[in-house]
Amino acid sequence: MLKRWVGLWVTLVLIGLVAAPPSNGQAQAVPRTLKFAVGIDVDTLDPAAQTTTTVQNMIDYVFETLVGLDYKQNKILPLLATSWQEASDGLSITFKLRGDAKFQDGTPVNAEAVKFTFDRLLDPKVTVPQRFIVDGIKEVQTVDPLTVRLALSKPVPLLLRNLTATVAAIISPTAFRKIGAANFTRDITDAGSGPYLFKEWARGTHLLLVRNPNYWGKKPIFEEVQFRVVPDAGVRETMILAGDVHVALLPPAPDVARIRSNPNLTLVEAPTDRTIFIVLNNQQGPFKDVRVRQAVNYAINKRAILASVLFDLGTVVDSPCPSSLFGYVPMQAGGWPFDTAKAKKLLAEAGFPNGFEATFITPTGRYIQDFQFAQAIASQLRNVGIRADVSTMEWPSYVAQITRPLASTKIEMAVLGWATPVLDCDGTLYGQFHSSQQPPGGLAPAFYKNAQVDQLLTDARTIANQDKRAALYKQAQTLIWNDAPWIFLWTQKWYVVTVKNLQGLAISPIEKWDAVYATWK
Amino acid sequence: MGGYLVRRLLYTIPTLVGVSVAVFLLVRLIPGDPARVIAGLLATNEDVDRLRVELGLNRPLYVQYALFMRDILSGNLGISALTRTPVLIEIGSRFPATLMLAITSTVLATGLGVVAGVSSAASYNSWFDYAVMTVALAGVSIPVFWLGIMLMLVFAVHLHWLPAGGYGGPDHLILPAITLAAFSLAIIARITRSSLLETLEADYVRTAQAKGLPHRLVIYQHALRNALIPVITVIGLQFGTLLGGAVLTETTFAWPGLGRLLVGAISSRDYPVIQGVVLIFAVLFVLVNLAVDVLYAYVDPRIRYG
Repeated sequence: MLKRWVGLWVTLVLIGLVAAPPSNGQAQAVPRTLKFAVGIDVDTLDPAAQTTTTVQNMIDYVFETLVGLDYKQNKILPLLATSWQEASDGLSITFKLRGDAKFQDGTPVNAEAVKFTFDRLLDPKVTVPQRFIVDGIKEVQTVDPLTVRLALSKPVPLLLRNLTATVAAIISPTAFRKIGAANFTRDITDAGSGPYLFKEWARGTHLLLVRNPNYWGKKPIFEEVQFRVVPDAGVRETMILAGDVHVALLPPAPDVARIRSNPNLTLVEAPTDRTIFIVLNNQQGPFKDVRVRQAVNYAINKRAILASVLFDLGTVVDSPCPSSLFGYVPMQAGGWPFDTAKAKKLLAEAGFPNGFEATFITPTGRYIQDFQFAQAIASQLRNVGIRADVSTMEWPSYVAQITRPLASTKIEMAVLGWATPVLDCDGTLYGQFHSSQQPPGGLAPAFYKNAQVDQLLTDARTIANQDKRAALYKQAQTLIWNDAPWIFLWTQKWYVVTVKNLQGLAISPIEKWDAVYATWK
Repeated sequence: MGGYLVRRLLYTIPTLVGVSVAVFLLVRLIPGDPARVIAGLLATNEDVDRLRVELGLNRPLYVQYALFMRDILSGNLGISALTRTPVLIEIGSRFPATLMLAITSTVLATGLGVVAGVSSAASYNSWFDYAVMTVALAGVSIPVFWLGIMLMLVFAVHLHWLPAGGYGGPDHLILPAITLAAFSLAIIARITRSSLLETLEADYVRTAQAKGLPHRLVIYQHALRNALIPVITVIGLQFGTLLGGAVLTETTFAWPGLGRLLVGAISSRDYPVIQGVVLIFAVLFVLVNLAVDVLYAYVDPRIRYG
């Protein structure tokens, strides 16, 4: 009896599959809800507590900062502040606010709100993991309802850039008090001044935003924006292929070629300031010698790896500082040359004619094709006699490895990436090459120490004249490049896939997308 | 029966205490500093240290455990290190999704599995029997994420019959439930079949057949009830496991369940969530096992009095 039913069902299913209608064409009308598939869930909605770029990107729709950034020209733009005046001694800056901006709860964006925001960011009792954004601000003074002055404890050349970060988003004191500090991580109703209102956050499922009908600026065309949490990269790609979402972040790198040639999809990709490199232990082991470090730089064919392992999702670096940052100067056209003969010669000079063995660790899935390119690099190193076995571990364990101080570190070679949300060489050069940043003081596991570089970088942090700073950075980059504390590799591209109808989605060098004013064809 | 029940309930307490201690110690043995992981690479050491104090991670281990036990006993599972939300709210927001998926998969697997197993046993050694057992072998062997992605490709991408994932109405539940049910279905089918075959060897069945009863009556009225007893245990275990969250299926279908919550918490070293979720799993699993034991005792008098 069951056998007959099974036979019937199988036949019906087969008929259904064969006779199924062809795939739907794309809908042409502007969708009411623009749907994104993102890889991680919101951890906190509070701008001050933000640590992850993607989450910041989502709440950028709801909040605004005093100033914005034109990424193409790397210039500061007015946003909630229309103009600003730096004091001649560099110890304060005065902002004039636009008069017509209102928070979503109807209260005005005034000096009191700015003071409230920054007082909160400076309060040691409030959790602000990226407090470096307000580094140097001593006090906030309300001069008049539309004028606010930031008093500084020292000149801060990066101040305006820092203020473009999501962490420095201006929040409504009224809304904050209504929601309460404890609930602000999960409820930001009417607390921002941006083009979208917070509507709903269903944990693990989605973040839903609704267009702000009273926004002071240009109205976006999508009534709603939904960010759906889809942790698996392949599934994000499947969803956009199935028509369930309009934008999918970071599909799997190996599928990028196919996406590029798909007529229904657009791959939007752009270089970022995330520089990828191999950390070398500059103070212990075989990489102590600068010739060995230069040799391994010569030994790697970066272009080949980018083409065949990274599917062209990177750009070879020609400086320790990525090209999108202020202060960048190219050191060597085309990056460090690929020259196996020279590599072997340098190794022999340094006393390693037969190469040596080294440990080599990499994370998996943290950077584009990290485990894969590490293996490619290891095989290229074998050509010059260096035998490195690649081992991997999950991210928190990896972080524990790279934050060990010199006395207990086991690192000889390690894959790492570094990106700064502030487009200035300071973030990368100071953070990775100043000797004070070696673990445990910071996260520069190359243990590079050059007193001259230290001085140049410290000076560049404190003087306000941008031309002078640029000159200091040029010198610093030259010294660092020749010292080769890393194997310099590439900067990653950041990429999303959208349906063809969506136009105008741009990607900035700090790994954020901007689709607030995207259009639909 | 009452004494049996009470005894089983009392046994659960040392189990739960043991689980809570084990989890508390084990997560702290994994390398990785939660404060640094949560604050991110760009945070300065001062801010990481501040976070560490806030999370209570700088206190000695026994103090942390004492606070943990005090919280548990007052019904408070702590606050998530990552989202500052009470762990109970984090779990509570994911539990309905996990429950829905677990129940649907179990019902599907049981319904189809028992039917397949019985028909297979009834037509022992026929082509049908071999076909069903081959399908069962596939169900047990096929990786869950592969099956999920294949189903998604066919039904969502090519046919557009069903959504490709996410949490929503019944149409969102179909593919994940089928994917998850495949493994349980296969196991239940095999156990049902072997249990029924074994039962069919029994004396009382031979008597019934000798009496001239029709084959169908022998199987469904006499043999099946007794054959289903071990199947109940298997169903209970499968359901208990599914309540623990099916991480691979949840990740593949972007289903917001407890499995994903746990794996995410491990990746970000969110100790309170890890401890809370594992404890809840343990409680649920213990309760399901208890229910199965009680049901078992109810169905099989030999257990009750033996």
